Amino acid sequence: MLFLQRVVPLHTWILISTFKLSYNLLRRPDGTFNRDLNEYLDRNVTANAVPVDGMYSFDTVDRLTGLANRIYLPARDNEPQLGIVEVEKPLSTSEVVPVIVFFHGGSFVHSSASSAIYDTFCRRLVKTCKAAVVSVNYRRSPEHRYPCAYDDGLTALKWVNSRAWLRSGKENDLKVHIYLAGDSSGGNIAHHVALRAADEGVEVLGNILLHPLFGGEERTESEKRLDGKYFVRIQERDWYWRAYLPEGEDRDHPACNVFGPRSLSLEGLSFPKSLVVVAGLDLLQDWQIGYVEGLKKYGHDVKLLYLEKATIGFYFLPNNEHFESLMDEIKSFIQS
Amino acid sequence: MWPCQPDDGGVDEHFAVLGYNVKSSDMAGVAQKLEQLEEAMGSFHQEGLSQLADETVHYNPSDIASWLESMISGFNPIPEFDSSSDPFLESSASVNSQMPIDLDFGSDLIAIPGKAVYPRTQPPPPEQNQPQPKKLKTSIAAVAPPPPATPLLVDSQENGIRLVHTLMACAEAVQQENFKLAEALVKNIGFLAVSQAGAMRKVATYFAEALARRIYKLYPANQQDSAFNDMLQMHFYETCPYLKFAHFTANQAILEAFAGKSRVHVIDFSMKQGMQWPALLQALALRPGGPPSFRLTGIGPPSHDETDHLQEVGWRLAQLAESINVEFEYRGFVANSLADLDAAMFEIREGETVAVNSIFELHQLLARPGAIEKVLQVVSELKPEILTVVEQEANHNGSAFLDRFTESLHYYSTLFDSLESCGGGGEEAVSVQDKVMSEVYLGRQICNVVACEGVDRVERHETLEQWKSRFGSAGFEAVHLGSNAYKQASMLLALFAGGDGYRVDENNGCLMLGWHTRPLIATSAWKLR
Repeated sequence: MLFLQRVVPLHTWILISTFKLSYNLLRRPDGTFNRDLNEYLDRNVTANAVPVDGMYSFDTVDRLTGLANRIYLPARDNEPQLGIVEVEKPLSTSEVVPVIVFFHGGSFVHSSASSAIYDTFCRRLVKTCKAAVVSVNYRRSPEHRYPCAYDDGLTALKWVNSRAWLRSGKENDLKVHIYLAGDSSGGNIAHHVALRAADEGVEVLGNILLHPLFGGEERTESEKRLDGKYFVRIQERDWYWRAYLPEGEDRDHPACNVFGPRSLSLEGLSFPKSLVVVAGLDLLQDWQIGYVEGLKKYGHDVKLLYLEKATIGFYFLPNNEHFESLMDEIKSFIQS
Repeated sequence: MWPCQPDDGGVDEHFAVLGYNVKSSDMAGVAQKLEQLEEAMGSFHQEGLSQLADETVHYNPSDIASWLESMISGFNPIPEFDSSSDPFLESSASVNSQMPIDLDFGSDLIAIPGKAVYPRTQPPPPEQNQPQPKKLKTSIAAVAPPPPATPLLVDSQENGIRLVHTLMACAEAVQQENFKLAEALVKNIGFLAVSQAGAMRKVATYFAEALARRIYKLYPANQQDSAFNDMLQMHFYETCPYLKFAHFTANQAILEAFAGKSRVHVIDFSMKQGMQWPALLQALALRPGGPPSFRLTGIGPPSHDETDHLQEVGWRLAQLAESINVEFEYRGFVANSLADLDAAMFEIREGETVAVNSIFELHQLLARPGAIEKVLQVVSELKPEILTVVEQEANHNGSAFLDRFTESLHYYSTLFDSLESCGGGGEEAVSVQDKVMSEVYLGRQICNVVACEGVDRVERHETLEQWKSRFGSAGFEAVHLGSNAYKQASMLLALFAGGDGYRVDENNGCLMLGWHTRPLIATSAWKLR
């Protein structure tokens, strides 16, 4: 353990270890999940419509799912600090303000848009990218399996796309400039929502996948090499797939193994450019790199950011160089 | 020259924004505990681990150090899991586990299951006299941040936003004493409100009426009619889960505090119709070893008619107690204000365990200077085992009118939204009358917050954070409500509210009930340091 602590900054080590410990208590071998204890242990923060640090947030209830998505908007200079939610005017009529539709991680099971770790991360995204962010609460497994998360993601995307107050650009050319982003299961969701968006003609300008959750029946080299070494064990990954995928399915299901034996072709699809961030100490990296290669094979624009010494969850704390690199990369990805 | 940052007692900033309370000086210690647990847990198979989680009560997860410590100290290797044993019988045999029992949820008088019913075999929860996390000291005097605002938009409300903006513009005009403008705006609101549907229309109407009263100085009469208010509150109790949650969670804490005690005395600052007490009596009747002898002192305001409400309520409870064989004694005190009471009046007896209970009462004391301090002083003189408090989770007592207005607008909008969804779940359908009366109940509160001032403005709600510092100054520290209370409150919600949007959240050892992501009421428990 001490060795691990030297590789990983102490704060990150404590944070991720605490999550790991709680999650170990919650997963049951029979596939059920201690949902009450999970919700009890999760640290939530409320939205705040009073601008703080140049932005404000508010929640909106999606009647379909009964879940509250969280919206973060940059505060306008000329408005009073009153906690007024601006849903009448577009974001800007002089410049483009990107809107990042963010899907939080948690292996499809844990966390929500209210989780303190994700509220904090979304605020950092707003600040760095000078963007609006919509953090989506998707229905989680094991209570709600595939394809609920993708359905909810697509619903949210279409909702965002149709909000007049999320538009920006030149006065006569206003539209919602959408990017999809997500970490862990959120990254997986971003990919699948982008696929559906392509089918339905909703324009997505870019995908940002932060150590996305992909997998397959095969045990890759990185999985074998890093099993149990940096907070994650293959056994746990298997549990989460069993909880998400339809009963009786295996990990070669196309939701999980995107470019595997049951994959769909991405040929000719209007798929957005992608930024895929891989943590060098994540046991799933072979799958993530395979994903990058799969996209390339179909002629899609993809950039890989490989952070050699990073572990999962490195971006929850800003006190390290990986975090800096990540934010710089995301910023230029959106601005280019 | 910048002064040095304190290197002990300072809460780590990075963890604080992530919802955790870790002292900078304690990080190595926390890491060590994590390692220790990792090692100990290594010898368990997954089944044993999740079983352990089901059987352990967790407290205050924000404080990672104490959370870890509680697991380390409660952590005895469990013998091979014996699937043939009956978990409900096991509790007396196993050394370090607590088992919730499922009592009959079907009856009106819900008995309270949970570890409190069994005598404690586990060491009490870890030291709860953690010092208040100190704000990280900065060298520049920090400007106090403006109070947060938490609006919740239910999708179709986007077109209601214009109405909200107009309401706020009107409130701003009132604050600036620009009554001509305010008047014009309030008339506009009337027109806008009519075009809205559901909750938004009702809320806007109540706020507009309250603003109009303030503008025209037509202050509401009869705000203090207690019998009417009690009646309204009964309908509110039936319609939605807030009061049930309040009673349930407070009772849970009281039951735990009474574990192993044979003579108990509950002092209820919010007696009203005594709806909280049948369930507690029932739970006490069923606890192993039998019920304690139970004394109840109920405080209520003077009644405006000939009847003695307090005595009637006491008598009904006495009948119930007799039917379930609980030795019961009752006394009712009429008082215009809780601040009129003195400790001596309660005649606390030797060997008696005292619980003081206050549901939505304390905030009223903030209308008179010195009142809350007096009451908390009296409470501390009673030397209670526990003080249970439920209050609205909102700051409706700010010094600026506009702040109060904005905060209460968001608060009551969410409350009304949640009422719209009531009636779907539960065993009995909510009647139209219950709903309408609940709206009137809340409408009176809105009117008080917006139109009244001085001693008349009694709906001076404050947040848990604010109450914490008041209780702290009076010598109280928090008794943490644990994961079992959380779980049972969630189960209660599922039963009574169809779980439709209602959420329980744990916050620094206290439990909050909210609608979706907006906490609306907070239950906390306190004891003398």
